[in-house]
Amino acid sequence: MLSEQELTRYDRQIMIPGIGREGQEKLKRAKVFVAGAGGLGSPVSIYLAASGVGSLRIVDHDRVELSNLNRQVLHWEEDLQKEKVLSAHYKLEKLNRHVDLETMNKTISEENIQDLVKGCHAIVDAMDNLPTRYILNKAALDKGIPFFHGAVRGFEGRVMTVVPGESACLRCLYRGPVAQEKFPVIGVTPAVVGCIQATEVIKYLVGIGELVLNRLLIYDGLNMKFTEFKVKRNPRCDHCGEDRERIKT
Amino acid sequence: MSVKVHLHLTLRQHTNGQEIVEVQGATVGECLKDIIKRFPGLESALFDKRGKLNNIVEIYLNLQSAYPDELARQVTDGDEIHVTLMLSGG
Repeated sequence: MLSEQELTRYDRQIMIPGIGREGQEKLKRAKVFVAGAGGLGSPVSIYLAASGVGSLRIVDHDRVELSNLNRQVLHWEEDLQKEKVLSAHYKLEKLNRHVDLETMNKTISEENIQDLVKGCHAIVDAMDNLPTRYILNKAALDKGIPFFHGAVRGFEGRVMTVVPGESACLRCLYRGPVAQEKFPVIGVTPAVVGCIQATEVIKYLVGIGELVLNRLLIYDGLNMKFTEFKVKRNPRCDHCGEDRERIKT
Repeated sequence: MSVKVHLHLTLRQHTNGQEIVEVQGATVGECLKDIIKRFPGLESALFDKRGKLNNIVEIYLNLQSAYPDELARQVTDGDEIHVTLMLSGG
């Protein structure tokens, strides 16, 4: 049940056809897992909190560094060396006191992921490496929780939404391990991509619009162009395929 | 038979900045061989030493994922191949 204060706070989005009070209540009842409180995790959690998602569980294992501040807008100069989740908790609490925040300073692993996502209605990929993305993808499929992928490099980004049983998953495109790199990025790129991810989460939770399913949306900020590639479930995918044949990682 | 290959920004360093290259070939693999013939620097960016596509490379044929077995995909006149790279940053 939304309070009078919440009805006022969310008035402009309750006005949107398809959201209304009912949609706003759906957002309030939702719990979203945000994996990472960095470049993507900042806009994702800020906009989900602002929209009135009832509960956010944010996990990150890093501390704030000076080189993060060009893009990780949840963290400020005063937060240097603080745990990112503490810094995030402080800002998001100030942004919207109606949001129940659970923040955990942990490294996401195959061992703990099932517990971490327990009770969540959506999993947002705001990570900075592919191996953890696949851990999230697998957990989402195992638990039947929608998964919202996003990634960035330079002025480029990509988004794909996965609804277990309905669409291709991130692993359907897996070719094998990729070397990790210190990636170049400018803050506006994760801002755009993170906002698209948050839009997808809101649409899913409310039950409106068309999700980025079986599609990979590529954002090219330099040429200000979006390209969409169709993807389909890979029957040989070791996460969602029919035989789940194991691929060595 | 002419096929257009669209190259990811990072790969254009090997083509003097050219984004779209027209190539000849009956399969995606042949088209990539043709483009490498003209721009040899692309070879190590696309393939490993055993001739397998690098894991970071993604191929789309007419805006659809060509994975798996992308090199064997048949192409016809007017087809478009996008060669892009997987992203991992966040």
